[in-house]
Amino acid sequence: MNDRSAPIEETKMPSPEVNSPSTGITKETGRRWFNVGPRSFTLSEGNLFLILAVIIGLFSGMAVVCFRIAIEWVRWSLLGSALAPPPLRVLFVPAGAGLVVAFLVQRFFRVARGSGVNQTKAAVYVFDGYVPFRAVIGKFIVCSIAIGSGQSLGPEDPSLQMGAGIASALGRRLKLSRDKLRLLAPVGAAAGLAAAFNAPISAVLFVIEEVIGTWSAGALGAIVLAAVSSALVMRTFLGSEPMFRVPPYTLAHPAELLAYAVLGVVGGVLSLAMMRIVAYFRARLRALPEWTNYVQPAIAGLLIGLVGLRIPQAMGAGYPYVDQALHNQYTWEILAVLGFAKILTSSLSFVSGTPGGMFAPTLFIGAMIGGSVGGLEHHFFPATSASVGPFALVGIGTFFAGFLRVPITSVFMVVETTGNYSIVLPVMISNTIAYLISRKYQDVALFDLLARQDGLELPSMEEQRETVVLRVEDAMRKPESLPLQASDTLARALEIAGTSPEDLLFVRFPTGRWAGLLKKDLLTEASNRPKDTQLREVLSSARLPVLHPDQRLDDVLRIIQGHALLPVVSRAGSRRLEGVISLLDILIAYQKST
Amino acid sequence: MTFEPTNIASRYFQRRVLLLSLIPLALLFLLTVTLAGTYHAREEVLVREWSQKGSEDLSAGQPSRAFEDFRNALSYDPNNDLVQLLLAEALLADGRLPEARSYLVNLWDRSPGSGKVNYDLAHVSMRTGDWEQAVRYFQTAIYGSWDEDPAQQRNKVRLELFELLLARGQTSEAQAELASVAADIPPEDATLHEQTGRLFLKAGLPGKAVTEYEAALRNNPRQPQWLEEAGFAAFAAGDYAKAETFLARAARENPSSEDHELLRTVREVLDDDPLRAGLSNEERAQRSWRAFQQGLARLQECTGSNADPQPSQQIPSDLYSLLQDAKGLKGRVSLQSLRKDPDLRNEAMQLVFHIEESTLKTCGTPTGTDHALLLIGKEHAGNNP
Repeated sequence: MNDRSAPIEETKMPSPEVNSPSTGITKETGRRWFNVGPRSFTLSEGNLFLILAVIIGLFSGMAVVCFRIAIEWVRWSLLGSALAPPPLRVLFVPAGAGLVVAFLVQRFFRVARGSGVNQTKAAVYVFDGYVPFRAVIGKFIVCSIAIGSGQSLGPEDPSLQMGAGIASALGRRLKLSRDKLRLLAPVGAAAGLAAAFNAPISAVLFVIEEVIGTWSAGALGAIVLAAVSSALVMRTFLGSEPMFRVPPYTLAHPAELLAYAVLGVVGGVLSLAMMRIVAYFRARLRALPEWTNYVQPAIAGLLIGLVGLRIPQAMGAGYPYVDQALHNQYTWEILAVLGFAKILTSSLSFVSGTPGGMFAPTLFIGAMIGGSVGGLEHHFFPATSASVGPFALVGIGTFFAGFLRVPITSVFMVVETTGNYSIVLPVMISNTIAYLISRKYQDVALFDLLARQDGLELPSMEEQRETVVLRVEDAMRKPESLPLQASDTLARALEIAGTSPEDLLFVRFPTGRWAGLLKKDLLTEASNRPKDTQLREVLSSARLPVLHPDQRLDDVLRIIQGHALLPVVSRAGSRRLEGVISLLDILIAYQKST
Repeated sequence: MTFEPTNIASRYFQRRVLLLSLIPLALLFLLTVTLAGTYHAREEVLVREWSQKGSEDLSAGQPSRAFEDFRNALSYDPNNDLVQLLLAEALLADGRLPEARSYLVNLWDRSPGSGKVNYDLAHVSMRTGDWEQAVRYFQTAIYGSWDEDPAQQRNKVRLELFELLLARGQTSEAQAELASVAADIPPEDATLHEQTGRLFLKAGLPGKAVTEYEAALRNNPRQPQWLEEAGFAAFAAGDYAKAETFLARAARENPSSEDHELLRTVREVLDDDPLRAGLSNEERAQRSWRAFQQGLARLQECTGSNADPQPSQQIPSDLYSLLQDAKGLKGRVSLQSLRKDPDLRNEAMQLVFHIEESTLKTCGTPTGTDHALLLIGKEHAGNNP
């Protein structure tokens, strides 16, 4: 791209001629205002994309702010302002709102049904970055009603999809190419999630870990900018407080880490159980006749209301209760009850097809389970544990890692929301154990499972992460003969050729350059030149690409085209031949790996 | 990632759209500002309403309801320290100590010098039996910051700390705290003077108690209850003259009271004390003579013996020994001899004091003149008049 040439070229744009006589401001003036760009607002396409990312962040941030406020207004209107609403409302509001939500989804916003993460992934991998703007509107309206009415779901996943939808709409309006549109959806998703979590780092990591799966430098810049600007908007309007006020943490005793390991096991098992429950019942309910979709959220709402009569904490997103758990407001028995009740209500809401996300319930359940394990430990081993709060905090990350299967995000999320690096050790221990347990007993991650139930075969980021990358060293073999030197004569080459089974001989130059000499070409040269002619004269301009043992075979496939055999040399010195590799060797390596 | 320009027109178009997108962005901004403003205003109202309701419930003695109210308030303003403090107090009142402690510790982390937070934490510690921690919190509360009427708050804390220290047997520390309180009491705060006087009495410092009562009575000289307490304090301090003054005033202010036993005792002490300064020789002799007669009668009554007891009568050895001493002295003591011989007078009075003290152990608390003599003996114990 030549940025300097752009203004010169763009001044050639045709300019309009129509004037506005009444104001004295001509349309030409107006156009010139817009046309300022070509003269002074000179941007490369890359920079333009980064500015677009910031604009997406601003749009998404404000949309999420409005969304959060809308949820609260719905809650105040339907359930009242108390944390524990009156019993009649608890019983009937979620059910009634379920009917309304189901009607809206079935009639107007079918795109609002399902996981926002998967819909964003589908946009990236299936629909060329297309997320319908109707999904943004739909998610906003139906999720506000659902979550505000006490359905046990959270606003993060819808926020993520709203961000992706806004980004996609802007991209389409800008008539961006297909590639760029594909890239925009994750950018918007990160913005939406960053605002919802008020944690830009976690949002960026989540999108990379779960949506795009790669650390592409170009995408990363835009994603980070969008996430930061979105989080900034969120903090401007709703305050810079982190999602949870976290208790101070210090490791009371090294043995406490064992308790965190136990938390990892408990979190892993429970996240696995919840995943199975969701997967099983969601599939069954989706198999029911179409008309049942009108009543499933209402029935779920009624059941949630019944639970809510005794345990109102299990309704809605439940953030205030997470905060209370973090500050030792419950005994371990109550924490355990709350955790299990939330598993029940969230599963009901989710499998019934009520729009909303599972992030907030995951945080809630994790906090309760963590606090419960911490409380038990404190009960039996008071000398080795500090307080319940840190356990609740670690529990959040643990359940997040086990249920959503995003181990890196889960660690950073806890660190980012606490601002306390010292908690990272127990978080890593517990999260890793939960993740490994979940992965061992459930091959397919939750988002992939849901996508498959929806009939989509989206690429699994987890599988991609786990896929073994084959490298040159996995396919190369020992050279059959020693390489020739550039100073060797044709006679010497003929001698070596007679003993080598390969059709190609490698010739090494003192500079480290490598060349290849086919046997048949050698014979031709030998018949035309004196036998004492040095090979450097024969191969004066020939050059072979060289490979290194750590290079990925995927990359080598692009290089090896047109070469029968390539030398593999050491990175410590290109004159040292480590091995040779052919296309056949690569294919054999791939065959062995499967 | 590279973005090659497709063509100049499309780049031009994209920039124009990007600039135009600022219009909906501005509109969305205005909408968000309006919504957020309304939302925050509503939140503030809710915090205020729930806090007020909580305070009302707490005042009405319904801490569990108050706790729910404050929790509701906090859900809209989680970092509101005042509501957190009120919530902690509701929890404390409801006996939910671990939860109260948790909130208070959070508050303490943010404001370790807050008098109120330390004061509440001291209460939690007291109720969980962590006395040492309670003392530390009380002490920090005394020197902490208070929003309203710090001097009065600090004195209140000191008084509670005093009670705690006294209950734990740390009398000297308790007395020191009380002395600090007394030093800071404004002269016009009669109630606090009276309260401090009562506590000085409790701490075994009746002399200081009298001073506080006097200060209290300067503001309210006709308070019969305080006058009685002041009289008792002076009586306990052995200042019978002062005790008589206070008790007499109390009797005048409250003539309907039938309980003037202490005044009678004090008057008997004053009337019977032969060692009191300012008496004439004759009066001193008369009083000594009466006291000697009374002592002998008390001894005989207590031992149930005549003037010549036998060891076989099962009399406690100390009383038997006193009987022997009395027998020896009786021959020498007469009104006449007491007038002439101050040493004999002293000797006779020492015997009387011993009799009253010893018979107290064996025959119980005396009444009337014997009680007065016992008190006189205590007053002059160690003195050699």
